[in-house]
This record gives sequence, structure tokens and C-alpha cells, in this order.
Amino acid sequence: MPKRGYFGVSFYVVVGFLAVFFVLLVTGFVIGPLGRSLFGDLGLPAWLIVPRPVPELPAEVVFHLFGFPVTNSIIGAWLTMLFLVVFAYVITRRMKIVPGRLQSAFESLLGWLYHLCQRVAGEENGRRFFPVVATIFLFVAFNAWLSLIPGFGSIMVTTADGHHVHLLRGANTDINMPLALALISFVFVEYFGLQSLGFHYLGKFLNIGQFLRSIGQIVRGRVRDGMIGMFTGLIHIFVGCLEALSEFIRIVSFTFRLFGNMTAGEILLLITAFLVPWVFAIPFYGLELLVGFVQALIFGGLTLVFLTLAVVHHGEQGAGD
Amino acid sequence: MGGLADLGINLPVLVAQIVNVAILLGLLYLVAYRPVMRMLDERSRRVKESMAQAESIKEQAAHAEEEVKKQLEAASREGQGKITRAVQTGEEVKQKAQEEARQATETLLTRARHEIQRERDEAIEEVRKEVADLTIMVAGKVIDRSLDKKAHRQLIDRVLEESTRRKKK
Repeated sequence: MPKRGYFGVSFYVVVGFLAVFFVLLVTGFVIGPLGRSLFGDLGLPAWLIVPRPVPELPAEVVFHLFGFPVTNSIIGAWLTMLFLVVFAYVITRRMKIVPGRLQSAFESLLGWLYHLCQRVAGEENGRRFFPVVATIFLFVAFNAWLSLIPGFGSIMVTTADGHHVHLLRGANTDINMPLALALISFVFVEYFGLQSLGFHYLGKFLNIGQFLRSIGQIVRGRVRDGMIGMFTGLIHIFVGCLEALSEFIRIVSFTFRLFGNMTAGEILLLITAFLVPWVFAIPFYGLELLVGFVQALIFGGLTLVFLTLAVVHHGEQGAGD
Repeated sequence: MGGLADLGINLPVLVAQIVNVAILLGLLYLVAYRPVMRMLDERSRRVKESMAQAESIKEQAAHAEEEVKKQLEAASREGQGKITRAVQTGEEVKQKAQEEARQATETLLTRARHEIQRERDEAIEEVRKEVADLTIMVAGKVIDRSLDKKAHRQLIDRVLEESTRRKKK
């Protein structure tokens, strides 16, 4: 046992590690574009120079399957799906009451999500929402983390028509995936709302009950009450329109929140790796791990909240009363 | 649609991704959520069961403890009672013995007293007889004439009786 230890290794190992890290950092700074602009070209070999990254917003098509464009983001999504399904299958194939290490890690992740759902939406609804929320969470998180694996974005392939494209790309950095997730979230929110409340659910958006009643009052001669009621009814209709609008704005905000964060993270990593090559990007990788988790939690959590809101009975706003 | 296409929105890809997520949802439901939920339910059921069991065992233990305490208390009470009774009996025995001893002493004393009285009476009688005989003898000597012994005797007895009666009065 060493007398002075840091992080479980001896003092000299730590010092050596820090020295190597520092040398890599300084060298990276010098040979990077920042260093070159400061010190001029030092005549370094070409393989040390990192090429300027070209971030592209639209995903590139890798190949066509029966005339259907398969982009690298779709392949990334497949990879994430494959990973999740195989991982889950291997773990749950032989479930034990007293779990092993891997099983308990997986179970505690799912159990955490499950109890989150139950805490927010209640016992019964939490059970119904859990698969949707968990799928969104798992997909967003693992897709983000998988695309952080070094080498994920650097596999290049040549397409049939001669372009060099990336084979893999984090699906969430292609706007189609966040949009797809947002649409799925939207569909499930409306589905559960309709399923739980039936016709009353639509009354939240088409809030014309008060307006019609006040027209009735005017016809029956109570003009003063009718006019006030009509004003309130108009406000209700307006609020209903806002509610309906907000459902669609949610899709947009869902989409662009995830897309923006993931794309920005990707570009941030590319830029840091380009400006100061090698070790400088490591803290940003850590940051992106956190961002992936947070975005997954936000997407899943907001979906959960919207689902919960959709199944809550709006007694005083319903069309029936 | 130029702006949206620049962002990369592309209907076939969008549909593909929606399908992907739907497939993922279905597959994960089969291989992850259903078994895990079942496992969680099972585990919470077991935990609840074992908690209930522990509760009942605890209750039983408390019950048994109470029972033991009660029995101990009863035993102690019984023992106490026995001791008290024994002490009482001992006391009684002692008192009886004392009483008996006292009575025996009393009897003995009384008898002794009687004996003494009788002895004294006898002695007095003896002395009196002796005195009478002596008196007669002396008187005979004095008078020199033997009186009729029997008449004389009667005379002395009468005198003595008188004197005794007078003394008693």
C-alpha cells in the first residue's frame, strides 16, 4: 500500500499522468489552428493536422433500400435500437429475484423511471405511461451516449454515387428524429387524453359551451347577463384556441430543444477537437454525457407531465358543464 | 419548404424514424418493461409479504413475552403466598408451643404448690399431734395420775379445734 496515494494509484503515477496530459494539451494547442495562427506554421507533418470539420445539418444518405433513402442518422438509430434491445434481452432473459450486478443496474434505471412515472402520474396512470416515457428516455440517452464513443463519427464510407459520407451519426442530431419523437409524444398525449376523458378531452380545445349558453340567454331576453356571458364565452374560446395551439407548439419546442442541444453538442466537440486537438476535448465529452442524460430526462419528463395533464379532468372547463 | 429542407426535414426519413421508435417501443415493451415491471411487482409483493410476516412474528414474540411475564408474575405471587403462609404457620406453631409450655409450667407450678401446701399441712398436723402427745405425757407426769387416755385425748382435741377455729376467724 503506497504511503501517498491519489485515486488509488501512487503519487508518481499521478504526476506522470498529469505531465503526459499537460504535454498533450500544449502540443495539441501548438499544432492546432490556434497555435498555428499564433506561432506560424512549424512545418508539421500533414497527418498531425486535423482537417477543418464540416458540420452538416441534413443527414447524408448512405444508401437506398428499395428506393428508400437510408441516412446515417437512421443507421445510428438502428444501432441504438439494436444495442438497447440486445442489452435488455440479455439481461431480462434470465431474471432473478435476487439480481446480479448488471441486472440490478438495469432494473434500478428502469425502476427509477417507473417510480418517477408513478410519482408524477399516480399508481394506475404511471403504469400506463411508463413504456412511452421510458422508451423516449432510453432512446435519447443511449443515442447521445453511443454517439460519444470515440470513432463513432469518424467511420467514412463511399456511397454508390461517389460521395464520402459518415456511416454513423447520432440520430438526435438529425432533426427528423427529434421531430419523430415529438410527434410520438404528441400522439400518445392525445391518445391517452381521449382514452381517459373521451369527448370531454376535446372540450378543452373547443370551449364553446359558455358562448352558446349566453346566446340562449340573449334569445330569452336576458340581454345584460347574456352580453357578459358572451364576453366570458369568447374568452373561453380564445383560451381553448391557445390550448390547442400549445399542443402544437409543444411539438416544435420538443423538436428544437433536443435537436439544438444534440447538434450543438456535436459541433462543440468537433470544434474543440479541431481548435486544440487531442486531450482538450475530454471535459467537453463529460459535459456532453451530462447533456445527453439531461435532455433524455427533459424529453421523457415533459412527455410524462403532458400525459398526466391530458388525463386530468378539467371539470369546470369541460364542454358538458 | 426550402428552409425546412435545409434543416434536414425529410418525410421518408421522418416516417422511418417514427417507425423505428415505434418498433423500439414494442420490442422494449416485450424484452424490458414487461419483465422488469413484473419483477418489480414481484419483489415489492415479496417485500410486503415478508414485512407482514416479520410483523406477525414480532407480534407473536410480544405475545409470548407477555405470556411469560404473566406466568412469572403468577409464579412469584404464588411463591410469595406460600412464604407468607409458611411464616404464618411457623408463627402459629411457635405460639402454640409457647402456650403449651406455659400451660405445662402452670400445671407443674400448681401441682408443686399443692404438694407444698399438703406437705406443710401434714407437717403441721404431725407437729400438732406430737405436741398433744407430749402435753398429755407431761400432764400425766404432773398430775401423776394417768388420766383416762381417751378422755384426755378428746379434751385436747376440742381445745385445739377451738383454737384453730378462733385462729381462722
